[in-house]
Amino acid sequence: MTAQAAPSSRALAFTAVTKRYPKGTLAVDNVTWSIATGARACLLGPNGAGKTTCIRLLEGALEPTSGTVELLGSRVADEGYLDARRRTGIVPQGPGMYTDITVSEYLALAARLYARGNVDRVVEVFDLGDHRQKVLSRLSGGYQRRVVLAAALLSEPEVLLLDEPTVGLDPIAAHDVHEFLREAMHDRTTLLCTHNLAEAEALCDDVVILRDGKVLVHSSLADLRQRSKPRLMLAARQGAERLLQAMQDLVPDARAMPEDGTVAVTVDDPEVEAPGLLRRLLAQGLDVYRCQPVRPTLEDLFIQLVNEET
Amino acid sequence: MDQQLRPLLAKELLQVRRSKGATLSATLLPILLMVVIPLGQAVATRGAPAGVNVPAGVTLPPGLAAVTTNPSRFFVEVLLPLYLALGGLIVPAISATYTVVAEREKRSLELILALPVRLRDILVAKLLAMLILALVVVLPLFAVDAATLLALGLVSWPYLALLFAVLAASLVCSTGIALVLALLARDFRTANNLNGAMIGPLIIVMLGILFGVPGAARIAALAAFLLFAGSAAFIVGLRWLTFERYLA
Repeated sequence: MTAQAAPSSRALAFTAVTKRYPKGTLAVDNVTWSIATGARACLLGPNGAGKTTCIRLLEGALEPTSGTVELLGSRVADEGYLDARRRTGIVPQGPGMYTDITVSEYLALAARLYARGNVDRVVEVFDLGDHRQKVLSRLSGGYQRRVVLAAALLSEPEVLLLDEPTVGLDPIAAHDVHEFLREAMHDRTTLLCTHNLAEAEALCDDVVILRDGKVLVHSSLADLRQRSKPRLMLAARQGAERLLQAMQDLVPDARAMPEDGTVAVTVDDPEVEAPGLLRRLLAQGLDVYRCQPVRPTLEDLFIQLVNEET
Repeated sequence: MDQQLRPLLAKELLQVRRSKGATLSATLLPILLMVVIPLGQAVATRGAPAGVNVPAGVTLPPGLAAVTTNPSRFFVEVLLPLYLALGGLIVPAISATYTVVAEREKRSLELILALPVRLRDILVAKLLAMLILALVVVLPLFAVDAATLLALGLVSWPYLALLFAVLAASLVCSTGIALVLALLARDFRTANNLNGAMIGPLIIVMLGILFGVPGAARIAALAAFLLFAGSAAFIVGLRWLTFERYLA
């Protein structure tokens, strides 16, 4: 399933790209995909799927073995690529921090390299005022991530590449970063590479799923949801085992969810099917105290898709 | 200078200035090698008895045979060029460990890669910073040497120019080696081991040239060898150094 953008409106594009590392590892295998200008896409996949390799190909840190990688219309090897990079903000995955460069100095360096940007403005936006003179390595994880985000957004870039922006952060710091990202991603082409499916679901509209270096799915989140039926989550006082036993005669695909003691069943239309199912379960003497329709989450869809391909 | 290169160079120089370990090591060793030891010897050789006792039946190499009868000549033509070459080799080698390898070891390179830069600019900035530090350290030391040796009447101006060529060639050589170091070393320990593995053989060849080639030609040969070794290191570095090798 693919959703290729028209060439004229592609903010970033991979065309028949293969990346094989010097020791022979095939990280990306002849993939073609693109993100349209203005789209907010997440790049998902299990470990070793090729996500970070894709980000590194886009940032010019790696060269493709074959095929072409384009950023804002410029190929990575072209002269105009540096200009495209100046219009792109990148948040790397858990970078090491300088022990001898302060927040102010790093942001000033970023402003000079981007050839634009107002350091005072991003310091204010990311509430870094009290930390300007601190060296980067002395900041907490959350503030370190704020500095990296501030540098990425300093030049008001057209494109944002985010590689696991909240990995390693505590829940409060991760929540702060999400708030900043929500604001930053508004009206801005974004590619978010993450393992955090809830984060991807909250922040993105499109999904690219990689597996073993190939594109498994490239679709909008809405289209992906259309493919998957809603579920009913049921719980009874008699317990999941008894409920499952009663339901297996009524709905063959019912399955117990050990994590919360419920039984899940896939339905076409919860509003139509739930009342009848409930009536039959109550008639069998089961004290059903929960019957909740649930839309499949991105995590459900991701696991389903990856398992389908296995 | 390139719009990207200037801020990167400023960053490298800032980091070098703040790295007390790098600055201290890169200053103290050259002071010893280029000023304290040679000038002490220069003073000591004045009025020293001529000639050395060579055991019967031992034939000295041509470069050494010509100077053993005169301690001052031995110092000026053999030891002094060796000290200068070592001084020139050591400063960039030490600073390379701090500027090139430290960034790789700490993974802070990712922070720079996130900004609009090219690998070429990152490395050129680092090599330029090393060269600037080396020049700031060795040029004043060479000036002290030159003034003292001229005052003692041990060298002529043309000979000083040859010695300066040796110093400049050793800086080029060491910078080339630093580039190869960037390709191979992932941490401080490996960098120090590689520095030793690369500079050790150079010293042996340098001694071979100084002992084997007679007259002023030995200084020219030494400078040529250092330039050749440096160029070879640059060619290897530029041919093989890619982002993925530097990032690996």
